[in-house]
Amino acid sequence: MAYAYLFKYIIIGDTGVGKSCLLLQFTDKRFQPVHDLTIGVEFGARMITIDGKQIKLQIWDTAGQESFRSITRSYYRGAAGALLVYDITRRDTFNHLTTWLEDARQHSNSNMVIMLIGNKSDLESRREVKKEEGEAFAREHGLIFMETSAKTASNVEEAFINTAKEIYEKIQEGVFDINNETEEKISDQLELNRQANGIKIGPQHPTTNSTLSSNQGGHQAGGGCC
Amino acid sequence: MFGRSRSWVGGQGKAKNIHSLDHLKYMYHVLTKNTTVTDHNRNLLVETIRSITEILIWGDQNDSSVFDFFLEKNMFAFFLNILRQKSGRYVCVQLLQTLNILFENISHETSLYYLLSNNHVNSIIVHKFDFSDEEIMAYYISFLKTLSLKLNNHTVHFFYNEHTNDFALYTEAIKFFNHPESMVRIAVRTITLNVYKVDNQHMLHYIRDKTAVPYFSNLVWFIGSHVIELDKCVQTDEEHKNRGKLSDLVAEHLDHLHYLNDILIINCEFLNDVLTDHLLNRLFLPLYVYSLVSPETSEERKINPQVSLYLLSQVFLIIHYQPLVNALADVIFNGDLSVFTTPTDIHSTHKSTASAGGMRRFIKPPESLERSLELSRHRGRKRTQKRPNYKNLGEEEDDERAGGGSSSAGGGLEEGWDDDSGRGEREKGKGTEGIGAGGSSKGSRASGETAEEIEMVVMEKCKVPELTEQNITDEEKTAAATRTHTQRSRPFLDMVYSALDCTSDDYHALFVLCLLYAVSHSKGINLDLLERLQLPVPDQERSSYSVVLVERLIRVMSQAALPDGKVRLATLELSCLLLKQSVLSGSNCIIKDVHLACLEGAREESLHLLRQFYKGEEIFLDMFEDEYRSMTSKPLNVEYLMMDASILLPPTGTPLTGIDFVKRLPCGDVEKTRRAIRVFFMLRSLSLQLQGEPETQLPLTRPEDLIKTDDVLDLNNSDLIACMVVSKDGGQAQRFLAVDVYQMSLVEPESKRLGWGVVKFAGLLQDMQVSGVEDDSRALNIVIHKPSSNPHAKPLPILQANFIFADHIRCIIAKQRLAKGRIQARRMKMQRIAALLDLPVQPSATEVLGFTQTANTSASGLPFRFYEQSRRAPNDPTANRSVFASVDKVPGFAVAHCVPQHTPSPLSSPSPPSSGSGSTGRCDSVTASTTSAQSPADDGILLEHTPPSSSGGEGEGGGGEVTLVSSAPSTPAPAPALAPSLTPASQPTISLLTDNSADTLSVESLTLLPPADPPRLHLCTGHVTAAQSLQRPDASIAEEEEEEEGDAELVRKDEEDGSPIDETETDATVKEETTETTETVTPTDEVLERTDEIQGEGTPKELNGDLEQEREGVTAAESDNAELDTETPDSPELD
Repeated sequence: MAYAYLFKYIIIGDTGVGKSCLLLQFTDKRFQPVHDLTIGVEFGARMITIDGKQIKLQIWDTAGQESFRSITRSYYRGAAGALLVYDITRRDTFNHLTTWLEDARQHSNSNMVIMLIGNKSDLESRREVKKEEGEAFAREHGLIFMETSAKTASNVEEAFINTAKEIYEKIQEGVFDINNETEEKISDQLELNRQANGIKIGPQHPTTNSTLSSNQGGHQAGGGCC
Repeated sequence: MFGRSRSWVGGQGKAKNIHSLDHLKYMYHVLTKNTTVTDHNRNLLVETIRSITEILIWGDQNDSSVFDFFLEKNMFAFFLNILRQKSGRYVCVQLLQTLNILFENISHETSLYYLLSNNHVNSIIVHKFDFSDEEIMAYYISFLKTLSLKLNNHTVHFFYNEHTNDFALYTEAIKFFNHPESMVRIAVRTITLNVYKVDNQHMLHYIRDKTAVPYFSNLVWFIGSHVIELDKCVQTDEEHKNRGKLSDLVAEHLDHLHYLNDILIINCEFLNDVLTDHLLNRLFLPLYVYSLVSPETSEERKINPQVSLYLLSQVFLIIHYQPLVNALADVIFNGDLSVFTTPTDIHSTHKSTASAGGMRRFIKPPESLERSLELSRHRGRKRTQKRPNYKNLGEEEDDERAGGGSSSAGGGLEEGWDDDSGRGEREKGKGTEGIGAGGSSKGSRASGETAEEIEMVVMEKCKVPELTEQNITDEEKTAAATRTHTQRSRPFLDMVYSALDCTSDDYHALFVLCLLYAVSHSKGINLDLLERLQLPVPDQERSSYSVVLVERLIRVMSQAALPDGKVRLATLELSCLLLKQSVLSGSNCIIKDVHLACLEGAREESLHLLRQFYKGEEIFLDMFEDEYRSMTSKPLNVEYLMMDASILLPPTGTPLTGIDFVKRLPCGDVEKTRRAIRVFFMLRSLSLQLQGEPETQLPLTRPEDLIKTDDVLDLNNSDLIACMVVSKDGGQAQRFLAVDVYQMSLVEPESKRLGWGVVKFAGLLQDMQVSGVEDDSRALNIVIHKPSSNPHAKPLPILQANFIFADHIRCIIAKQRLAKGRIQARRMKMQRIAALLDLPVQPSATEVLGFTQTANTSASGLPFRFYEQSRRAPNDPTANRSVFASVDKVPGFAVAHCVPQHTPSPLSSPSPPSSGSGSTGRCDSVTASTTSAQSPADDGILLEHTPPSSSGGEGEGGGGEVTLVSSAPSTPAPAPALAPSLTPASQPTISLLTDNSADTLSVESLTLLPPADPPRLHLCTGHVTAAQSLQRPDASIAEEEEEEEGDAELVRKDEEDGSPIDETETDATVKEETTETTETVTPTDEVLERTDEIQGEGTPKELNGDLEQEREGVTAAESDNAELDTETPDSPELD
């Protein structure tokens, strides 16, 4: 439970591109991908290790809330990283990327790390968007790019972890102003904006409770780290 | 590892197929065997629950019998049973994840209905989880959110119980509305919106009657607390250190507004009533609007007027709900302070409206939301009538914060009642302090005082009048008193208008402009409200406009055109927008002549300002075009502007803050130049638009005029050089190189027509770099950059190639042609700029030479000259104007600048407009007089001209201080004689607006008398009669300009040739003429080059003896000399 940092992610993209499945696939290894079963979740958390530091990733799916402008806006602002997902078997989901990206750039913290993900790479036969196109789009807009398959779990791990690495590097470079937030936590009774950019510094002293659960980490929901 | 764990659980039997009914049956078996959670079976249970989830989803997608079994065995009850056993976070998290997955993934409606029945889900919702655990909190709120997404008219009955008045999903969720974790707050908002969206009258009535008041009052308080925090952040800011936090707080406020707007646009009418009531009377009016008028006495609970203007703009930009924004706008534009003394009765028909009968105060809700909800639940139906008065339960000390303690609620009941009797008196004694009670920032207030701030909710309707009387605060009385004098006091409107003054800075003005813009674009505001005040409504036919507003807008523009004006570009752009909105009615412009004249005056000022920065340098052209591009490609977006927290802090000049150029003041000479260019563009375009004239001069390069790829050109008799183009990526092509006026193009022969060519590439010569290629004398390396609208962006090459020619001679020819073409192209454009600025056209032969020698020389020359100026600017007020002078120190450039004045003068002297077109550069003044000595056309005025022109020459010389001393006393003498005709360009403004004649005014300016107490904004803020307000402010504008321009005008006057023609009218024609001049002049290049050689040898021919500094003397002499020389080629034209 004890972590050095907590990064909040959001997953964005058209409906049906497999966002919530990616999320479950990454956050909970116990749900093994099976051909005749698709399970998704709207929230998940998982511990990873970067540079010897425990980092907790909290991932929030924003699906179904597109009709409320305030919600979309707030989500972007509260996240340190975003996975922008399209479906390689559906050209339209790729075409909508620009709109998604514009939205993200407009509402989010300028330091938010965005990773472009072409999902369903297992369905090679139905591919409509070439890998090169995804790469080109990512290059043009300064994103990290990867093709994944929530079905086969291919590259899923890497997608989330690479994004986290990027955020971590930005923290090391001092791009993210996280110290400011901890100060506020103490000084400000309203506890405003403690995680305005989607990063939180972990508790200094792990509680006994969390020590207990970290012993069982391998099995617990949301704690499928290895 | 996980694979193993699975086999361990399912290993007992049919491990091979875990997705099967059999496996579920096995799981059921495990559950029945382990009904009690122990340390031993915890892991087993968790994995069992997880597996059940998986099977259920698999079943939902593949095998319906799975779900039937789950139903049949009532397995959901096991979950509940486990949950209730305080089984620790580990199991809780698994259960919550399972529930999330179930409700997220179940696709069959019947399955969903089953899961929702039996109230199991509601039991889980109200279960007291350990919410201090962030993971449990996150899973829990996600669970509620998932459920809320399933809400519709059918499913709502599973959650909302009409009989018991329970709606756990909603009431439990809103308890977290101010949770410190942003994602939780967002989820809560999502849930509430999903609930409001369901069109179920019973449920919505419940929401309104039981929860709306507590929720909205707490929400409003929460928002207000953020606002106060935000204000504190602005007030305590030093050196922009708070910007990070400030932008978070601003974003938070925007989030709130968007959320409120999302609620309002669901358009659930009675919910909106309650919300509107709270927003208006508990937040917007008492906190935002009240803060606009800031009596010195009330230092507490208020926010700065600029913060309030900023926030109000955001409100109007985002929220368009008619009843809310119209009422708000009405108070701002028509209301007075009495709105804070009369009880609100907007929604008194609704019993549930807590504030009915109360004052408009920003106060803390008496109890926390959680407690309110609890109380309302316990009170049940019997006490429904009491609900509106739930605040009677008493006030707790406001020191306690919203989220924290509300434990003392109820304790203050008696106190509240007792206190009421003495309240009136004490309120009075306290003066203005009462407004906006419920301090968030001041924690340590005496408890006695707090009691006074208790809102008077206990008042009964009949008592209202007396109580209101008693409750009047000091400044409210004053306000009431003033009301008796004028027919109507509008303190807020007065404040808004008077904040448009930009004399010292435009800190407030920008917000006011945004506010006016937002209000005028709001869909929710009644047109007649705006029309009554004649506020600008876009795209509306009208016959009149608000004189008060327009005059202030023009004043902002005049300020912006001043050399050291404190008006930011964003402010100017918004002013232009609003002015256009005000005076353009359909395709007609209804602006009054007097205002148009003022505006023209401002435009002329901007022209003069820009002229001072005009240089015959490479970079000026690039900047000029860059600015035009960035201005047109990125028009101001008010909504984005108002999302930027950085403008909340006082305007700054340094780019080190990272603030966008248009939102701050210029820093250094380059930025001052950029700013002057922009101001000129904006005012020019505004002026043209208002006069219904098309823009014919800008941009300098119109894309439609350019040669494009695939154009077919007639190249007969053109100079073509064959070459091999080897691009960077290795591609090769045989092409012919052709050089046009502005462009170079690579063509290949057109197959059908002999002598014609198809363009394969065309690029602007001005953006081209040519260099030789090492160890290949036949090759040239050519790079053409794409002009970018962002001057900081890395230039993007559109062509990067080696051109290989047949031999080195052709290579040299090509190189020369390209280099010369580049210079020619740039020079042509510079001449067009000069024409735009009504400057004499420069043949600038010397510059051409300077550039041709090597491209590098000129490049290295640029920084030097910029450096020179920036060194001078700060301590010498005239230095800005004597930009040319500093340049003149370089002999080559001196000629470049001074030659031109001569050339156009004989050319244009037959047509008076050129002289009337306003002042030319300072350089000009010297030559104007000297040349005229030889040119018969100017004879008449020569005598009068001479003395001032010489002094002008000194001023230009750069020794500003010294010159001024000598020139100032000398001017009065010639001035009166010159006055009528020599009125500088900006003069029409003055003569139109003051009672005095133009002569007297110019005398004033010439003698540098300080203007007699310029009547500024304060005079017109009081809404004096139209006639008065029409004249006064403008007079002040004019006079101020006069003052500012004092010495500049000295010079300018000298330059006038004394033609009494109205400048503005002939302006356009002049420009065209000068442009033509440009063309005609070009051939004289060679002669001018010769001039350059001779120059320097001659001796000063005409010196008036009062030149103090040798340097200046030399400069003048040089220019003088140059003119004499260049006289020769031009004289034939004169005849």
